Amino acid sequence: MLLALLMCYAGFTALCLSTDRHHGELLHSKPSPRRRIALRVIGWLLLTVSIWPAVAVAGWGLGLVEWCAVLMLSALLLVLLLPYRPRLALLLAGVGLLASPVAAFATF
Amino acid sequence: MKEGFRQAMAWLHTWAGLIFGWLLFAIFLTGTLAYFKDEITHWMQPEVQAHPLDDARSLSVAQDYLQKVAPTAARWFITLPDSRDPGLSVMWQDKVDPGKRGNFIQKTLDPVSGQAVEARESMGGDFFYRFHFQLQMPYPWGRWLSTIAAMVMFVALITGIITHKKIFKDFFTFRPRKGQRSWLDGHNAVGVLVLPFHLMITYSSLVIFMSMVMPAPIVASYGNDTRAFFNDVFPATNNAPALGQPGQLLSLLPMYEQARAQWAGGHVGRLAVNNPSDVNASVNLFRASSDRVVHDFGSTVSFNGNTGELLRVSAEQSLPAAIGGSFYGLHMGHFAGPVLRWLYFICGLAGTAMIGTGLVIWLGKRQLKHAKSGVMPFELRLVEVLNIASMSGLLIAIAAFFWANRLLPVGFAERSDWEVQAFFIAWSLSLLHAILRRGRQGWVEQLSFAALLFAAIPLLNALTTSQHLGASLATGDWVMAGFDLTCLASGVFLAWAAWKMQHRKAPQPKTERAPPLRLKPEAN
Repeated sequence: MLLALLMCYAGFTALCLSTDRHHGELLHSKPSPRRRIALRVIGWLLLTVSIWPAVAVAGWGLGLVEWCAVLMLSALLLVLLLPYRPRLALLLAGVGLLASPVAAFATF
Repeated sequence: MKEGFRQAMAWLHTWAGLIFGWLLFAIFLTGTLAYFKDEITHWMQPEVQAHPLDDARSLSVAQDYLQKVAPTAARWFITLPDSRDPGLSVMWQDKVDPGKRGNFIQKTLDPVSGQAVEARESMGGDFFYRFHFQLQMPYPWGRWLSTIAAMVMFVALITGIITHKKIFKDFFTFRPRKGQRSWLDGHNAVGVLVLPFHLMITYSSLVIFMSMVMPAPIVASYGNDTRAFFNDVFPATNNAPALGQPGQLLSLLPMYEQARAQWAGGHVGRLAVNNPSDVNASVNLFRASSDRVVHDFGSTVSFNGNTGELLRVSAEQSLPAAIGGSFYGLHMGHFAGPVLRWLYFICGLAGTAMIGTGLVIWLGKRQLKHAKSGVMPFELRLVEVLNIASMSGLLIAIAAFFWANRLLPVGFAERSDWEVQAFFIAWSLSLLHAILRRGRQGWVEQLSFAALLFAAIPLLNALTTSQHLGASLATGDWVMAGFDLTCLASGVFLAWAAWKMQHRKAPQPKTERAPPLRLKPEAN
């Protein structure tokens, strides 16, 4: 479940950064159109692919439930962190991406 | 035309949400607590000690006990301890009266010593579970009311989605410290981000009560014989009747192992032994509902109790049963391990918060108009009183329930009823308090009081039992320790909320004109 959580959180962060408003708030600049598309693709890709570790570990029934739970909670966490600790929100996504190979190695 | 439709939906969202909001808040909060039903029961019956699980030992202990205490009973039931509920529960019925339920004698055994545990009488977490769909009303009125509330919730969710114009644009938006705007942002955030859970929980509650809500298909296929419908849905285990000749019941353990092998290592939740002293004794083993997401009411393996012969293995579920079972399973969350259970709990709290913020927004918008004159019309004052009593008052009532559990003497007559009384007395008093005090003070005082009650629960537990945090953490009784710590955390959170409420700026009409604060009629 950890790997799915890390991927979902990073995915939502990427989607969040692909909007002008949040990119401005977090990185103090406007994203270039190419960057925006890249972030959007990465975000959707991470969210979609995160189904796989959840299902691979727990099977389809439980795996999908866990994936849904992780999907909702990672978005909630991100949205609650953004106004209060924006740097931490970004940092977590970065750390999550770095840690995900370790988590993948630990689960498979 | 489109705008007109959205306006109509906003109107429906506003008023359906208001009228049922108070009730739905209580249903959601107690239902959320019910995810930790067994854990709460463990805290409320500290006499039942937690031991490392050992099904073989538990089974032989239960069989020995029943053989000794109720050898001639008509039926035995054994519920094995699991990681959430440490007690080994045995139940027996001396005589089976067809068409009548009851005459059950229930004991909780210590799975190691085999002695019956004299636990204090308490409903435990079952109270919250029962309350969240029966609402402490006589059958079937409570179920009807909660089902109607679920339908209104479903309507409120759908109209809420239609009313919310910028679901994707505002997906990540939460702007705190901006008064009314923040409440709306918060309402939208917990509503949209946890929407799959809200839809699942609301829809599944309607599926669970479908025989009550939508009887037409059942009546169409079964006529007035609803009994036949329930027999199909919950297949009875048709066991052979007693022959009246004495028999010798075999050890239950080999049957337990055989059943687990049938289920590819699945767990046994419950055993029923029919006519244990008869030559025609039969043993039914029911699969634990924590094994799978899709709930199956009839997953059983049956044996002849005298020969050990495998009589019957229940068939696989049909597709409609599996669909119904998956809604039931998803709603109940029996299958959830500790981490997923906490996620369920957080989702439930998010739903509760969504309803609470909605109620606050309704009042806040209308209060703004009267902020200058300082006089509130009666209907707004009524909503304010109900808001305070239904939210902070309910928290006080829950805490009072836990306090009563520790403070009422163990041998007190009708003790478990009095715990429930304490809950409702505290709730009524908070309503009275909300009527007497002005709005803001009412909130601050009730939230502070609830904070105090919750934060002091670990202390209360340490003073009244031997299972204080130091002991429970040392012995690894995580359920006991987790309850204390969660109460402490809730206390701290409520204290923060009270502090915020105390230091919040009074709603000023000026803020209405501030440029970022365009109050649109979208969620009127």
